[in-house]
Amino acid sequence: MSTTMTPVKARRSTSEKEKATPAWQKTLTSDRAARVAALLSFFLFWVVISALFARVPGPVEVVQRLVDEFSRGEVFGNFGSTLYRFGVGVALATVVGIAVGVIMGLSQLGRAFFESPVLVALSIPAIIWSFLTVMWFGFGDLSPIITTFLTSVPFVIVNVAQGVRGVSRDLRDMSTTYKVPLSRRIKDLVLPAVTGYVAAGIRFAIIIGWNGVLLAEWFGGGGGVGYRARWWYDANRFGGFAAWVVLFVGFIVLLDRFVLDRVIQRAFRWRDASA
Amino acid sequence: MTDQLVRTAPPTDPEAGAKRTAKRRRLRLTGLVILGWVAMFALWEYGSWWFGSRLLPRPLEVFQAGVEIVESGNFVTDFSASVLKTFAGFAVAAAVGAPIGYLMGRYNYWRAFFHDGVTIAGTIPAIVYAVMSLIAFGLSNLGPILAVALVSAPYIALNVAEGIRGVDKSLVTMSEAFGRTPQQIRREVLVPTIVPFVFAAIRMCFAVAWKVEALTEVFGGRNGVGFQIRTEYQLYDIAAVLAWMFLFIVFMLIIERLVLAKSEARLLAWRPQERSSAL
Amino acid sequence: MAVLTIKNLAKTFNVGTPRASRVLDDISFDVRGGTFVSIVGPSGCGKSTLLNIISGVEEHTSGDISLTSDSGGPARMGYVFQDPRLLPWRSVMKNMMYVQNDRSEATVGRCRKYLEMVGLTKNADFFPGQLSGGMQQRVGIARAFAVEPDLLLMDEPFSHLDAITARGLRAQLQDIWAQSKKTVVFVTHDVVEAVELSDRIIVLQPGGRIFEDITIDLPRPRRQTDPTVATLQAEVLGRLETMKAMARTPEAVA
Repeated sequence: MSTTMTPVKARRSTSEKEKATPAWQKTLTSDRAARVAALLSFFLFWVVISALFARVPGPVEVVQRLVDEFSRGEVFGNFGSTLYRFGVGVALATVVGIAVGVIMGLSQLGRAFFESPVLVALSIPAIIWSFLTVMWFGFGDLSPIITTFLTSVPFVIVNVAQGVRGVSRDLRDMSTTYKVPLSRRIKDLVLPAVTGYVAAGIRFAIIIGWNGVLLAEWFGGGGGVGYRARWWYDANRFGGFAAWVVLFVGFIVLLDRFVLDRVIQRAFRWRDASA
Repeated sequence: MTDQLVRTAPPTDPEAGAKRTAKRRRLRLTGLVILGWVAMFALWEYGSWWFGSRLLPRPLEVFQAGVEIVESGNFVTDFSASVLKTFAGFAVAAAVGAPIGYLMGRYNYWRAFFHDGVTIAGTIPAIVYAVMSLIAFGLSNLGPILAVALVSAPYIALNVAEGIRGVDKSLVTMSEAFGRTPQQIRREVLVPTIVPFVFAAIRMCFAVAWKVEALTEVFGGRNGVGFQIRTEYQLYDIAAVLAWMFLFIVFMLIIERLVLAKSEARLLAWRPQERSSAL
Repeated sequence: MAVLTIKNLAKTFNVGTPRASRVLDDISFDVRGGTFVSIVGPSGCGKSTLLNIISGVEEHTSGDISLTSDSGGPARMGYVFQDPRLLPWRSVMKNMMYVQNDRSEATVGRCRKYLEMVGLTKNADFFPGQLSGGMQQRVGIARAFAVEPDLLLMDEPFSHLDAITARGLRAQLQDIWAQSKKTVVFVTHDVVEAVELSDRIIVLQPGGRIFEDITIDLPRPRRQTDPTVATLQAEVLGRLETMKAMARTPEAVA
C-alpha cells in the first residue's frame, strides 16, 4: 500500500483560538454595546427622516411640545381620564373573558355555543365599535369603556380557553385515578396551568384595548389622550401628536416590561425552568 | 367491584349503542352552534330595538344594504384596492421583518440590537401607525401600505426569530458531522423549520393587517373599503357602514381559507398530524 | 496504516470559569484502517464528547488530532447518532442524498444499495414520521455507510431501541460491516455489545482517561449464544467492575 499520509484535519484547539480574539472585539460585540448601537441608530434614523421630510417632526420639536403640554397642565387630566376608561374596560374584559373562556375550555358544548360569536367578535375592527359606541353613548366615559371592552374581550376568551383546554389530559386522568378532590384539582392542576395563559391574554387585551380607547376618544369629544392627540393632528401640528405618542407608548412599554412581563414570567416559570 | 369485571357485552350489535350516543352528541353540538348564531342575532335585534334602528340598524336592513352594494357592482374596485394595499404592505413587512428575524434568531448581537425595538413596535396601537403613515404620505395609497407594513413587520420578525431559535440543534450537528456547507444547512434545515412559524405569523398578521388597512383608509384614503365606511358614516348610514364591514370580513375570510390555508397544507405535508386550530 | 491519530488530547468545558470541568484527559490512541474499535465506559466518562471531537462538531482544548484518508483527498466521515436525526420534512431517499456530495447516478445507486441492505427499499419515499423508531435508525445507519466514509462514527446507536430490535440491528450492522470493511469507532456503555461487534475495545474511566485497551480476537460472524463470546464478555465485564470499584476508593479519585 503506497498511500500518501495527508493530515487533512489538523484542527486548532480552543486554547489556541482564544488567544487570537482581542479584548476590544469582545467589548464591541457585547449585548450592552448592541443595545446602545440600536438606540443610536434609531435616533439617527429619526433625525435624518425629520430633516428629509418637513412634515415629520424631529426630536427637538417633540421634546418642546412635550414641555408645552406639561406646562399647560394638559397632561395629567387627559391621561387620568384615559387611564380610568381603559382600566375599567380591560377589567371588565378580564372578568367576562375568564368566565367565558373557562366555560369554552371545560365543556365541548360551551365551546360549540360560543365559538361563532367569538370568531365574529374577533373580526370586527375597533374602528366600527368606536363609531357605534360614540353614536350610542355620546361623548362621555361610556363609549371608550365599551369600545375597550368589546375589542379586547374576545382575545382574553381565546387565550383562556386555550389554556384551560391545554391542561393535560394525562394529568386529569391521573387525578381521576387517585381520586383527587375537585377543589384540590382546581387549585393544584387547573389554576397553575391556566394562570400563564390568562396573563398572556390580559397582556394582549391591554395592547388591543389601548387601540380601542384611543380610537373612541379620537372620534368622541370627551377629552383624554386620543382627543388631545387628535386636537394637535387637526391643527396640523404633528409635533404635538408625536409628543402624545411618546407619552403613552412610553407608558405602555413601562407597564409591559415592569408589570406584565414579570407576572407572565412568574406564572410560566414551571414551564421555562427546564429550558 | 366484581360486577364491573364480569360485565358482559350487550346482546345485539355491540356498536349500535355507541353509534347512537355519538350521533346524539353530534346533533347536540350542531344545535349549539346554531344556537350561538341565533343568540347573536337575537342580541343584535334587541340592540336595534333598544337604540332605535337609526343608531343600530336591524340585521335585515344591513343585509339589504349589503345586497345593494353587491348589486351596484362598485364594491369590486374598492375591495381590490384594499386587498392590493394589504398585500403590498404585507410584502414590505415580510421583506423587512424576515431578515431581521433571521438575524435575531441566528446571532446574539443582532438579537440584543433589535429585541427592544421590535417588542416596543409590537405594542404600539394600530391607530398610531395609521396616523403616522398619513403624516408621512398624506392622502395617498402609500399610507395604508406603510401602516400595514409597520403593524406586521414586528410579528413576522419575532416569529421568524423564534422559529430559528427553535431549530433542532441535533439536526444541525448531524449536518456538520456529515460535512454539509452552511448554505446546505440553511436550505435543508433552517428554512423548513421556520416555514410553519412564518405561516403562523402571516395568518396572525393577516387578521390584524386588513383592519389596519381599513383604519388608515377611514382616516385618509381616496378609495378602498375604509374610504367607503367613512363616507357612509359621514352620511349617518350605519346600515351601509356595517354592510361594508361584513362584506369585507367575509371576503377576507375567504381569501384566508383559500390562499393561506391551502398553501400551508401543501408545504407542511410532512407533518404526521395536523395541528389543531387556535379555537 | 492509521486512519485516526489522537495525541495527548484533552477537553475542558467552561474553560476559565469556576464551573470548568475536565471531561477528557491525556487521551492518546490510533485506529488502523478497516478495524472496528469500541470505546466503552460508564456514563459521564466523556465517550460522546470524544466522538464529537473526532467528528469536528466540538473543539478540543489541547492536544493533537489528525485524520488521514486513503484517497489523499479530505477525509470523509459518517456518523450514526443515538437518535435517528433525520430531516422530518424530507423523504427517506432525500435524507440519504442530503449528506452526499454529488447527485450522480453512482451515488443514487449506492444509496439504494445500502437502503436495500437495511431492508427499507420499499420505504424510500416515506417521510421519517411514517416509520417506526427502529426503521428510522436503520435509515441513519444506511445513510452513514452510503457516504463511503474513511471513518464511521457511531454513538450508542442502539441504546434507544428495544432489546429485540437492537439485537436484529446489531446482526445487520455486522453483515454490512463485513461487506464494506469500513473503519468504525463505536461508542457504547454496553460491554456485551462491544465484545460482540469490535476488534478492539478502549475502556475509558470516569475523569476521561484511558483505563485499558483490549484486543478482541474472535472469529466472525459472532453470535451472542456462542460460549467463547459469552466467556470473553464476562471477563471484560469483570475488569470493568474492578475499574469502577477502584474509582470509588479515595486514592483513585485523587
